[in-house]
Amino acid sequence: METDAVIIGGGIAGIQCATQLAKLDLQSVIVEKAPFLGGHVAHLACKATDRCRRCGACALEDVLRRMVSSGSVKPFVRTTVERVDERSGGFALTLARRPARIFPDRCGQCGECERVCPADGAIVRAPGGNEIFIDEDKCLFFKDGSCKACMEACPDLAINLEERPDTLSLNASAMIVATGFEPFDAETKPRFGYGLVPGVVTALEMDSMLRNDTWSPDNGEGAIQSVAFIQCVGSRDAGMGRNYCSRVCCGYAVRMARLMKYRFPTVRPTMFYMDIQSFERAFDKSLHEASQEVRLIRSIPAEIRKGEDGRPELIYHGPEDQRVKESFDLVILSIGISPASFDRFPGLGLTSDGFTGLDGEEVTTLKKGVFTAGCVQGPKSIGETLSHAIAAAGRAASYVRDTESGGSQ
Amino acid sequence: MRASAIQSVFLHGAPRPQDQSKRVLVLGGDSTGLLVAERLADAGFPVLLLGHPGDIQVRDKVTLAADTVLEEIQGFSGAFDVVIRNSSGRSVERVGFVVAAQPGEAVPKFEEYRLARSCRTVSLSELENTLLSGGQTPARRGEWFHAAFLLGLSGESEPVVFSRVLSVIERLRQMENVQSYVFTRNLKVAADGLERRFRECRESGTLFFKFDDAGPVFETSAEGTVMIFKDPLLGLDVELTPDLLVVDEHVNPAVSLKPLLDATPLSLLSSPFLQPESTRFSGVETPRAGIFAVGPARGMFDPATIGVDAESVAAALEASLRKVPDGTLPGPPAIDPSKCTMCLTCLRLCPHGAVTFGKTAEVDPVSCVGCGICAVECPMAAISLAPPSGEPDIDSRIREGLAAASGSRKIVAFVCSRSADQALAAVGTGISENLIPVVVRCAGTIGVPHILSAFGHGADAVMAAGCFRGNCASGYGTVLAEERISQVQEMLGDMGIDPDLVRFVPAAGNTPGALSNAVRAMEERIEGRSPKT
Repeated sequence: METDAVIIGGGIAGIQCATQLAKLDLQSVIVEKAPFLGGHVAHLACKATDRCRRCGACALEDVLRRMVSSGSVKPFVRTTVERVDERSGGFALTLARRPARIFPDRCGQCGECERVCPADGAIVRAPGGNEIFIDEDKCLFFKDGSCKACMEACPDLAINLEERPDTLSLNASAMIVATGFEPFDAETKPRFGYGLVPGVVTALEMDSMLRNDTWSPDNGEGAIQSVAFIQCVGSRDAGMGRNYCSRVCCGYAVRMARLMKYRFPTVRPTMFYMDIQSFERAFDKSLHEASQEVRLIRSIPAEIRKGEDGRPELIYHGPEDQRVKESFDLVILSIGISPASFDRFPGLGLTSDGFTGLDGEEVTTLKKGVFTAGCVQGPKSIGETLSHAIAAAGRAASYVRDTESGGSQ
Repeated sequence: MRASAIQSVFLHGAPRPQDQSKRVLVLGGDSTGLLVAERLADAGFPVLLLGHPGDIQVRDKVTLAADTVLEEIQGFSGAFDVVIRNSSGRSVERVGFVVAAQPGEAVPKFEEYRLARSCRTVSLSELENTLLSGGQTPARRGEWFHAAFLLGLSGESEPVVFSRVLSVIERLRQMENVQSYVFTRNLKVAADGLERRFRECRESGTLFFKFDDAGPVFETSAEGTVMIFKDPLLGLDVELTPDLLVVDEHVNPAVSLKPLLDATPLSLLSSPFLQPESTRFSGVETPRAGIFAVGPARGMFDPATIGVDAESVAAALEASLRKVPDGTLPGPPAIDPSKCTMCLTCLRLCPHGAVTFGKTAEVDPVSCVGCGICAVECPMAAISLAPPSGEPDIDSRIREGLAAASGSRKIVAFVCSRSADQALAAVGTGISENLIPVVVRCAGTIGVPHILSAFGHGADAVMAAGCFRGNCASGYGTVLAEERISQVQEMLGDMGIDPDLVRFVPAAGNTPGALSNAVRAMEERIEGRSPKT
């Protein structure tokens, strides 16, 4: 298979790159390891209250539509890159594609597989809920072959565990790395109690619950009212070697707090922060509005532990220079962004913050013909990611034209 | 503001010329303008560059119009006529595209801090210029030189301003015995490498004071300005008489954007920025085809990110040259000259600046996005929008949908193609057999007659599902749709019919629940099961 550009990663950055390349009359292939396109953004809730709050998450559906209608993008989902070889005039890639485990045209979405599956998280529903997938990293069959419960239970005979992955070869003139980010692993920061104290969740988990309407303040044990947001979890943390601001967390925390308050008026949000970063132009007004709805405390808690009443208890340095203990019904950790590097093709360079590329370079890498798009190059909002991806596609397009016309750069 | 534009279309209003220009007008003034001009020249676009002095070097394909300003802009993408002026007079140039890349305008916050400018109290720009030109900083009064920087104590700051403060402090450190202080509220570190530079600066001795209130009080003494404050960390009362007090600045878009703001109704609403405050315009594209905004014009003041903007403009221009109409959009609107009374409603309301007037109103097909706002708002019903090729018009689709409906109840839902239709795709039309979706380009295209026609052909209820307020890609399509819904609600109320059988439903591609909940609620409403509001 031949293409002008191969895009590693089918999140919003990769999709936007492909769409832009199509506008420039170039063909592209997207390689995505998950069973569906969209990446992290596909799990984010719309933050609109009585009006749009400009989170940008709805852009994904828009960009996806344009990609599909362009007709010049081939997306490969459930596919990983096994190896990359540099050739004159481009790259030769070996791809491994896992077969569809649940055939969507046969699946009646009865949910029987979900009921019989013994492995937590092995059966997943796509964002929106109308397609079911098997996560091979969690499924017991792919671990040791010990379980075929879903296949045996499926009344529609829609499940296929045994088919082997196939291998594809792909030649591309240029490569765009759009592998995105990994959310900071909150368990590596045990003082915030994630995984240890009930009632402590990450903002990404909360976002997904809000998107799917699966969260309600009424959790059976009395309504959730006080909600604490902890900023800079895994950001601006030199002790952990994370000497950078993740740039999106202040924006998403404020929007999420306002959304929760709008949907559930009994919710009282508090935000613990170091410095609030601007997330909109002419930010004074937005910050003033937010401060009417969200209690803002300039302090990052020293510890979050299980209080005597079972709720999370925060210990922080208060504004009057005193040690404050305060319990909340729910604690949301605003986890930062870590680069999700493309490890099958090293040597692209690292910025001083550990992202892919070079300091001061926007989309280029150490390797000629390889470009970056989106958060793999550095933390970005959705809007910034869309712009960055257009720029990456533009650079890649110029490069492809130069190499394919036999010129040199 | 618009008056001049309207006047001038009458004066030189002309239909779209046939010849398309590849030439780009770049409004510059600093390194950003040069960078954009050079990138576009590299991509093969001839550039006319404004806003620079005559003594700078420009490369091939870039023509420098020195000390020249843009006065007015006419025409459309591919064929703009721009009126430019310099000391020797005015001239009109034909360009295909316009890029606003002027530097931002720094406004020091002396007044906000109630400080008077003096040789020891200067703005950040003034200090930068002094250091750059090798000038002298004021004399030190003691062994140590104390430099105090005010940063975002009044009005939020920007990462780019903090970056400049850090550069100045790094520079001052080359002098002997300098102690720098930064007085701030929210330190803006959300830019590449800024947190790292902040830490290095602090570790090498600069003191940072962060306040939750207004911060230091300034008093004038014989020695100069005294800063009186409580150290927010130690709680100690401090008095500091700095040798140099540096005041930060607001950075605003250039005033010279005005002719471009005048040319686009939606941008007028978002003044002083060229793009509306909407995620639909998160990049360099403005609501008006062929006009682009880079850096400060769109609220991005960080020079480090300008390369992305320049690249985006180059890509957008190339894409627009390759663009072929694919028949997926409605329109462009056809105007019946026998009905048009030249009332200018369409000219005033077109969010994309696609309307002009010759002998009658005319619409530029490249600038038009097919939102249909003009057709619905025209008081003479002189404007009609052809449906996308091969599709029946809205009224036929209402009739056909109702005729084919199998449910016991009939809910016609006008569905915006740019938001609610995507939400519908996520849940599937199977959510209810009572739902009859009619996809429209923009909620703004839904008129009172469409809603009444749906009722007339047998609908039990009508919903208009469009973007959330502030998210409409045509700016105010949502607002107009909501207005028409409430008009119909009033009519129904007057007729003794339950007004809640008509509803506006805000939705986005990622809120599939909003639509299915609204359909369910409407079903209950028809059954009379839900309480009256």
